Amino acid sequence: MIELTNVSYAYAGIDALKDVSLRIEKGEAVALMGANGSGKSTLLKIINGIVSPDSGAYRFNNEEITPKKLKDTKFAKLFHQKIGFVFQNSDTQLFCTNVYDEIAFGPRQMGMDEADVEQRVNDCLSLLNIQDFKSRQPYHLSGGEKRKVAIASVLALNPEVLVLDEPMNGLDPRTQRWLVEFLIMLNKAGKTILTSTHNLELVQEISQRAVLFGEDHSIAADMATTKLLTETDLLKKVNLVDEYYHRHDGDQHVHFHLHNY
Amino acid sequence: MPEWLLKDESYIPESDKDTFINKSILSLLGLLARIRTQGCDKTDKYFVHAALKVAFTFLLILLLSISRNFTFIVISMVYLLVILSLMRGKEILHILKVSSAMALFTFIVLLPSAFWGNGYSIVTITSKVLATIIAVNILSHSAKWNSITSALKVFHVPDIFIFVLDITIKYIAMLGEFSLYMLYALKLRSVGKNHNKYAALSGIAGTLFIKSKEMAEEMHAAMECRGFTGEYSVHNRFKFTAADFIYILINAGLLTIFVYLERI
Amino acid sequence: MHIPDNYLSPATCAVIGAAMVPVWAAAVKKVKEEIPREKMPLLGVGASFSFLMMMFNVPLPGGTTGHAVGGTLLAILMGPYAACISVTVALLIQALLFGDGGILAFGANCFNMAFILPFLGYGIYKFMKDRVQSERGEYTGIVLGSYFGINIAALAAAIEFGIQPLLFTNAAGQPLYCPYPLSVSIPAMTIPHLLVAGIVEVIFTVTIVGFIKKVSPGTIYQGAKQKTKAIYGLLLALICLTPLGLLASGTAWGEWGADEIHEVVSGSTPLGYTPEGMRHGFSFGAVMPDYSINGLPEAAGYILSAVAGVAIMIILFKIISALKKNTSGKITG
Repeated sequence: MIELTNVSYAYAGIDALKDVSLRIEKGEAVALMGANGSGKSTLLKIINGIVSPDSGAYRFNNEEITPKKLKDTKFAKLFHQKIGFVFQNSDTQLFCTNVYDEIAFGPRQMGMDEADVEQRVNDCLSLLNIQDFKSRQPYHLSGGEKRKVAIASVLALNPEVLVLDEPMNGLDPRTQRWLVEFLIMLNKAGKTILTSTHNLELVQEISQRAVLFGEDHSIAADMATTKLLTETDLLKKVNLVDEYYHRHDGDQHVHFHLHNY
Repeated sequence: MPEWLLKDESYIPESDKDTFINKSILSLLGLLARIRTQGCDKTDKYFVHAALKVAFTFLLILLLSISRNFTFIVISMVYLLVILSLMRGKEILHILKVSSAMALFTFIVLLPSAFWGNGYSIVTITSKVLATIIAVNILSHSAKWNSITSALKVFHVPDIFIFVLDITIKYIAMLGEFSLYMLYALKLRSVGKNHNKYAALSGIAGTLFIKSKEMAEEMHAAMECRGFTGEYSVHNRFKFTAADFIYILINAGLLTIFVYLERI
Repeated sequence: MHIPDNYLSPATCAVIGAAMVPVWAAAVKKVKEEIPREKMPLLGVGASFSFLMMMFNVPLPGGTTGHAVGGTLLAILMGPYAACISVTVALLIQALLFGDGGILAFGANCFNMAFILPFLGYGIYKFMKDRVQSERGEYTGIVLGSYFGINIAALAAAIEFGIQPLLFTNAAGQPLYCPYPLSVSIPAMTIPHLLVAGIVEVIFTVTIVGFIKKVSPGTIYQGAKQKTKAIYGLLLALICLTPLGLLASGTAWGEWGADEIHEVVSGSTPLGYTPEGMRHGFSFGAVMPDYSINGLPEAAGYILSAVAGVAIMIILFKIISALKKNTSGKITG
């Protein structure tokens, strides 16, 4: 479904991605991991067609995505409908005067009649449990509520792939938990889920497979998420964790404590 | 889980004329790239103090504007080309692109007057515009922006004003990035025909305003927490170097040539 | 509308720049009253907002796009004095760091875009808003304010261009700076602004103010009820400026008849029609042909025409507001 071959990208003379090859199949749940600035966000931008790689190829559904093709608006619109992107900063993603219009923005463009749009918006509202905000202004919602509205507004397009950039950031533990369940549900319903995250506690629940980026902006590891989490040396090498990182067996319990070394 | 979400969408988009999104993205990208490139890996190679650069760039622009002698324009142009040749290839390309675009525009604007028999304007003004814009761009590319703004202190611009300038540049980058992401979001969700483009655009610009107001209050609060009382002093040490001396000499030479040519 | 260097003579730049000094002083003083000293950095954020406004492309019918200046918008959102400072800072950064707009012409650019545009735009907006106490009155004010703000600013730029060939020529009589007289510069500047840029500005201003009023009405500047004196003073200044029209050699701009405009317009842009407003609006030249009334010197004729024009505008405003009050009175009573 998503296929990157030898993709490189540099910005203002600084490497952001170096020779990245990656294949993601339909229905997979994949996590992108790596330290800050290792190239995760750039990769997500390439996958969503916001930027184009300097070299290498990106294929989506067996069709190469090139800047030239994206200039064809019909092609670009179809591509953007098939792949939804939830931004790291939800503030940047919401630009309508109320939540209803925000979610209806996509379906209205797809030429649905207003009854179908309403059906779809209401489904999204109840799916994310935000019916009460229907007529509120997105700008004044809390961080977690904004994230939900942003997800709903993307979901309303019914994309085949859902890409989320650090979706857990800034959410309280309860909302994080809710989001995990929600993503699992979407994945079970057949959606391909691609998430970038730093959250080592939750990553194994939202993905079966993890792709680890090194500080050299290339892929350091690509394996089952549960296995990657045990590769402590590897995680240290890419500077994702420090020497105090450890895992507690059983995987099921999360706890907080201070280390008094 | 609603049924529509379980099926793949079979959807054929209508085409729509929404170039304004891409054009706005491009102009913001250009702006951000320009701000970013001046921020990194700039080792003020030719160590001339920014205050001198600002002062003499201003003087040169003034002389060019007053000059009625074409020889002086040619001499200034040569001088600017020499400085330009000392800069990096990418910068040269950018400066030449910007300035020749503006000169070309001037040329086209003045073309009708040339047909009316006014050959003087089209030649002198076009070349003056070209030289002036090259001069300003050399200044902007060869000195760090914060050194340019703090150089204004030498000309008795109040500190608070310099402070506002610095903040403006910083927030152009931050709010610019914010608007860029909003435009990306709009673009990714523009999957069909948008019947109310103005609503989308005003949503972006309006949110930008509310956001900027909020950021400003936050910044003010943060500064207050760090003990800011409304006084801001710009520190600008002026050490005279050999490069400064040479730079002054060259410019004094230009001024002499100007006086000589204009008097005769 | 950014005037580059060498289009205006340094003398013109100096004069207009000097004229800006008291404006800046007044703006700083006023802003200091409204915003405490330690909040001055907020202006920087306003300036960056104003800078970014000019980066947005506004969609126009037919898939093309245009740029807005946003001067009236800023004045409505932040108040005219803060807008003046913000636009000034934005223009300085454009001139000094981006090479966009002249360094010597900085004062002139500020005069047009940081003074005339926000103050006139805001003045008209406030005038309408205070007189017609309804949502429609306010939006009419926004439309008129943004439309006239940018058009009068363009006219000011055109006059600055147009007086160059009259004042600055070399020994051979050839113009040293902008070679076009008022008869060329005024239509060249104002027609695109009347037809395209003005409309872009109106759309931009109205929709953004509308959005902010819906989402976060508290963030919009609440000016004290305006003293009518200010707007009348501004109008008076404009009347006094009209004799500049006399400096034009050949046909003055006011005499561009509707037919000529039709020709110019269909030649340069795809719009092949004469705008409705212009066909009627410009016809008052016919009431006082050639702007001069028999037996009066030409200059007096100009001023008289201008006075009449302004008076007619004020009368129109008053009639509208009176009608408005009547209807609202009927509903409540």
